[in-house]
Amino acid sequence: MDDIDARYEVPRTADFIRSRAYTRVALQFPDEMLRDAAAVARALRRELAGGGGGGVKLFVMADTAYNSCCVDEVGASHIDAQCVVHYGHACMSPTSNLPAFFVFGKMPLDTNACGRSLLECSRESDKHILVLYGLEYAHAIDDLKAVVAELYKSHSGSVEVQYADVLCSVMSPSSAAEREHDQSDGNTHSNDVSIQSDGVATFVNNCCNVEGSKRKYNLGGLTWSTPIDDNMEDYVLYWIGQDNSAFANIVLTFNKCDIVRYDTVANQPSRDVSHLMKILRRRYYLVEKAKDANIIGILVGTLGVAGYLHIIEQMKYLIKAAGKKSYTLVMGRPNSAKLANFPECEVFVYVSCAQTALLDSKEFLAPVITPFEAVLAFTRGREWTGEYLLDFKDLITTEKPEISNKTEEARFSFIKGGYVEDSCTEGKEEQSETSLALAEVTEKALSIRNLNNDAVLYQGGANSAIDYLKARSYRGLTGEYEGPAPDSVLTGRTGRAAGYNHETTKSAQ
Amino acid sequence: MVKFTVEEMRRIMDKKHNIRNMSVVAHVDHGKSTLTDSLVAAAGIIAQDVAGDVRMTDTRVDEAERGITIKSTGISLYYEMSDDSLKSYKGERDGNEYLINLIDSPGHVDFSSEVTAALRITDGALVVVDCIEGVCVQTETVLRQALGERIRPVLTVNKMDRCFLELQVGGEEAYQTFSRVIENANVIMATYEDALLGDVQVYPEKGTVAFSAGLHGWAFTLSNFAKMYASKFGVDESKMMERLWGENYFDPTTKKWTIKYTGSDTCKRGFVQFCYEPIRQIINTCMNDQKDKLWPMLQKLGVTMKSDEKDLTGKALMKRVMQTWLPASNALLEMMIYHLPSPAKAQRYRVENLYEGPLDDIYAASIRNCDPEGPLMLYVSKMIPASDKGRFYAFGRVFSGRVATGMKVRIMGPNYVPGQKKDLYVKNVQRTVIWMGKKQESVEDVPCGNTVAMVGLDQFITKNATITNEKEVDAYPIKAMKFSVSPVVRVAVQCKVASDLPKLVEGLKRLAKSDPMVLCTVEESGEHIIAGAGELHLEICLKDLQEDFMGGAEITVSPPVVSFRETVLEKSCRTVMSKSPNKHNRLYMEARPMEEGLPEAIDEGRIGPRDDPKVRSKILSEEFGWDKDLAKKIWCFGPETTGPNIVVDMCKGVQYLNEIKDSVVAGFQWASKEGALAEENMRGICFEVCDVILHSDAIHRGGGQVIPTARRVIYAAQLTAKPRLLEPVYLVEIQSPENALGGIYSVLNQKRGHVFEEMQRPGTPLYNIKAYLPVIESFGFTSTLRAATSGQAFPLCVFDHWEMLSADPLEPGTQTANLVLDIRKRKGLKEQITPLSEYEDKL
Repeated sequence: MDDIDARYEVPRTADFIRSRAYTRVALQFPDEMLRDAAAVARALRRELAGGGGGGVKLFVMADTAYNSCCVDEVGASHIDAQCVVHYGHACMSPTSNLPAFFVFGKMPLDTNACGRSLLECSRESDKHILVLYGLEYAHAIDDLKAVVAELYKSHSGSVEVQYADVLCSVMSPSSAAEREHDQSDGNTHSNDVSIQSDGVATFVNNCCNVEGSKRKYNLGGLTWSTPIDDNMEDYVLYWIGQDNSAFANIVLTFNKCDIVRYDTVANQPSRDVSHLMKILRRRYYLVEKAKDANIIGILVGTLGVAGYLHIIEQMKYLIKAAGKKSYTLVMGRPNSAKLANFPECEVFVYVSCAQTALLDSKEFLAPVITPFEAVLAFTRGREWTGEYLLDFKDLITTEKPEISNKTEEARFSFIKGGYVEDSCTEGKEEQSETSLALAEVTEKALSIRNLNNDAVLYQGGANSAIDYLKARSYRGLTGEYEGPAPDSVLTGRTGRAAGYNHETTKSAQ
Repeated sequence: MVKFTVEEMRRIMDKKHNIRNMSVVAHVDHGKSTLTDSLVAAAGIIAQDVAGDVRMTDTRVDEAERGITIKSTGISLYYEMSDDSLKSYKGERDGNEYLINLIDSPGHVDFSSEVTAALRITDGALVVVDCIEGVCVQTETVLRQALGERIRPVLTVNKMDRCFLELQVGGEEAYQTFSRVIENANVIMATYEDALLGDVQVYPEKGTVAFSAGLHGWAFTLSNFAKMYASKFGVDESKMMERLWGENYFDPTTKKWTIKYTGSDTCKRGFVQFCYEPIRQIINTCMNDQKDKLWPMLQKLGVTMKSDEKDLTGKALMKRVMQTWLPASNALLEMMIYHLPSPAKAQRYRVENLYEGPLDDIYAASIRNCDPEGPLMLYVSKMIPASDKGRFYAFGRVFSGRVATGMKVRIMGPNYVPGQKKDLYVKNVQRTVIWMGKKQESVEDVPCGNTVAMVGLDQFITKNATITNEKEVDAYPIKAMKFSVSPVVRVAVQCKVASDLPKLVEGLKRLAKSDPMVLCTVEESGEHIIAGAGELHLEICLKDLQEDFMGGAEITVSPPVVSFRETVLEKSCRTVMSKSPNKHNRLYMEARPMEEGLPEAIDEGRIGPRDDPKVRSKILSEEFGWDKDLAKKIWCFGPETTGPNIVVDMCKGVQYLNEIKDSVVAGFQWASKEGALAEENMRGICFEVCDVILHSDAIHRGGGQVIPTARRVIYAAQLTAKPRLLEPVYLVEIQSPENALGGIYSVLNQKRGHVFEEMQRPGTPLYNIKAYLPVIESFGFTSTLRAATSGQAFPLCVFDHWEMLSADPLEPGTQTANLVLDIRKRKGLKEQITPLSEYEDKL
């Protein structure tokens, strides 16, 4: 029982609930911790009762609609919870409505071995070392610091080692909003520096803010700051933890840095991040592919991360400005079958938290890209420079992105190997589209047989879902029945789909 | 030095009967560029005495270094003909001035796309054939291409000097060689019977064959000699010409013409007696420096030499004398003007080949009549790098109307569909330019029938386009060019410094523009790919990319990669079934290999998705033995809706089948692009939909359920039908002397190649070898071959066909399995081929 108390930080959680006097609290567990859920709830209830906080109702939540790293606010609001206690790995995306308390769990770390490897690493390179870690190792960082300091003393090393801090373990929507506000301040500040004369703004890495003489970084729940003159490339990033989505986030964001990962299971460092670089190259291809798309589906992949509505609106605007058509789709966690229900979409933009943003599979009919990649793909004059962001909150801009109508050069498609122009001048005409548009187009379709159906259906020739529908060989019920009388009722199949009743008998014969 | 001005040039551009657009085509090393030099020299652009050495049209440094032409180069030349030389010309003409727009093209197969681009904008072709080597593989290819485009050919038998100096062959032997060369060329041309183009074969006695020595700058047609002798013999010129070729013999002792060899020593063939021997005499006298003999001879021929030229000796003297006596430009120009069509004449029959739209609209009519007042129709066949880095001239031919500086034009790209706005731009022509020798001159406008370069359109044209007036919204584009080679060899490029990526992207864009054939794309893995026709082509492309288009930024280049195809050997061993994700729908399919020749027919476009179903089923049933009804049940072609794989509906009485057709096709397009073995394109597989069971509610049989299922069942069908890999194979033609044959055979053996034809060229010590060589083995083949034959053998490789690798890729350890493994590794896929059980479901 003590084990549970310690591992799940029951006393601290109880303090938090008591201090804010919540009465309805949701406990969110990821699948791998679900087996402890009952024990944790019991321990917490006992703790709360013991400390005079009785009457607090605890609810256990699992199986979230999107990803267990995000706070499931929709689930929590079903039971009118006032706060969510989130267990396990978290992406630390800001919440929009509910306050959240994070318990990261504690994974064992061999601080001695880790310290030694850190020292070795610092010897190999003359760059500064920045230690980043999975949040589940946060508990061991103080120990590690001590070990390393000791080691340096005995080896008279002088290289500086810097440690990132955990941003917070409590998140309330107001503070998140405030932070955002702070950030947009910082944003405008740094914007001034980076706007180039040719009018093409480069990306400002919003996870970095300039505060006085320091550059402050926030990423995946970690925070650290560097002197303003230093670039991140001047640091060796030393990651302690698993090769998971949090690590991918770090690697892709700082893809130009030297990165060492300390594998906590094998207790040894590894420098191999080639699989992630491969992902990065693949993302480049997806961006190129997205440039050729005419119809884009916006997949809503979160209902909790702050600003998701804003970014969806922004995406819609962006896509429209690029002369393309967008459709917003809510389908829970996307899979190939769900995506294939929308064969007209040539690419999907997946709006979700940073650590679930990379969704790629051979099985998908159309590629799925992140909002950042969408900005790259749909903004003219923007180029892939290697800079990469996963978190969409860094993309949110207050003013609408300005549409540059510079058509100095047609767009060169590397998928088709030649110039292609998107019919982007039609922006205004499209606005006149009425609810009758579908009827009008299908009417024409009956009289003129479109010879390019194949191109429209399978080669991205459609400009809107209407075009697509028009080109289909089967367009659903037409409303023209030959005989007015309904068919007689027939007995259908019975049994399970895996083997209907009449089929099993057939195979038995 | 230039004998003409822009004004003069511009003036003749309006005389559509006095223009000749022609390209010079030939096998590599048969002397195109050298011969072109003598024409250029005659126009005064380069000095007469260096003609033949300058290779004026080889403008690039590497062209000069390697001694081969890489890019086709256009040049406009102005000539004023004498009344005398035109007196027997029967066609329409307008004064004596002529404008020749000449395009020198490369002879190496790897660059034959340049030839295609040149042929499109010309009406006639000067086919150059080495008199010793004869008609070679590339001569044949370009001839076929030219005739396919309805380009009228004339022939010149080149390198005559070799006969006299190097081989010292006798008159009769030389005649036999020449006539064989001409005959070989005629055999190819005879296959192109074309009522509109008329007889395209060439005959020396009609003046459509010239004999030339490009290096020495002399040439003649039989009409030159006929003219000379006509007066002497007092016969008609045309009569004389006939006597100078074929079975006509002359005996000087009896002074009689016979049509049979009389057996008398003095009896010689007309050609030998009157053409070959006099030349031989002159050359010999020059070479032996017998000047005392030479001057009277020259005087007899009416050749006067300048005094300083009289001091020359040996070869230089010979060259000079021959140039003065039989200047190449005269003979060739006369041949072109007499026998090649003017634009006005050519466009009358070429319009069918050119225009995509209905042949009775105003655009077709205007092209047909070469009407300068008609609507503008211009085809850009090629982009030429400008001196201004990164910019290009759009080079093309005006077929009707006129294009002017500052004009607003519509640019219809290759993907333009009439009535839609895709691939369509409206832009201003900043400047219209013509080539005067090495430099460009701006002109106000260029009327139809001429070639032109335009400034300011390069950012909207990748390789080719049709250009019309801004207002001509209902014009159809001009047909796209068909290339005889395809980009089969590919490399991945990466920049050494990651931040150079924008430079690389920009460079690839420019590279794609500068070459009609090269393909720059991005692979699924995010690698930039450059695809070219062959090793040499790629080498040149990479050099251009790095040096010219990327400003020297360093790149790394992967080893060449060859793309394979996936096919099947037999019919699926059983009908396979896959269930949809919701388990409510089932698709049953079988795969079988297509009949032999069918994939090729689809490639060529004889059978395709746009066919009239009746025509298609006729071809399929008559040539490939298909059931007539079945032929009507083809659902689609793939990949890319036109590829050589098909889905056929074999179901009987299945409900809702029409609803899922689009979804099955979508799954098929996807699967046929990425086969089950190594995600290479499929080829030659026919998928038969045997049965379908669908859920009765429409919502449960939507695209989401059917598309992934169709893909899976197609993979399952492929895997159960003995899947095999196809590899691309080159046809290699090698010409070499006998002593090099051993080396050639051993290199070919080592490279998995096999010889299927070995033939000695009659009358020469040379052998012609034709062999098949897998493309994958061809890297470094040229250099290995040269090393093994001490430089005597020079191969030309053209993609020929796909060949099946017999080993089973599913059996671990076989060569094919290893190949599949390599491809999968390169693509970053799982090393194991996904097993059948992943795709096939059980009841």
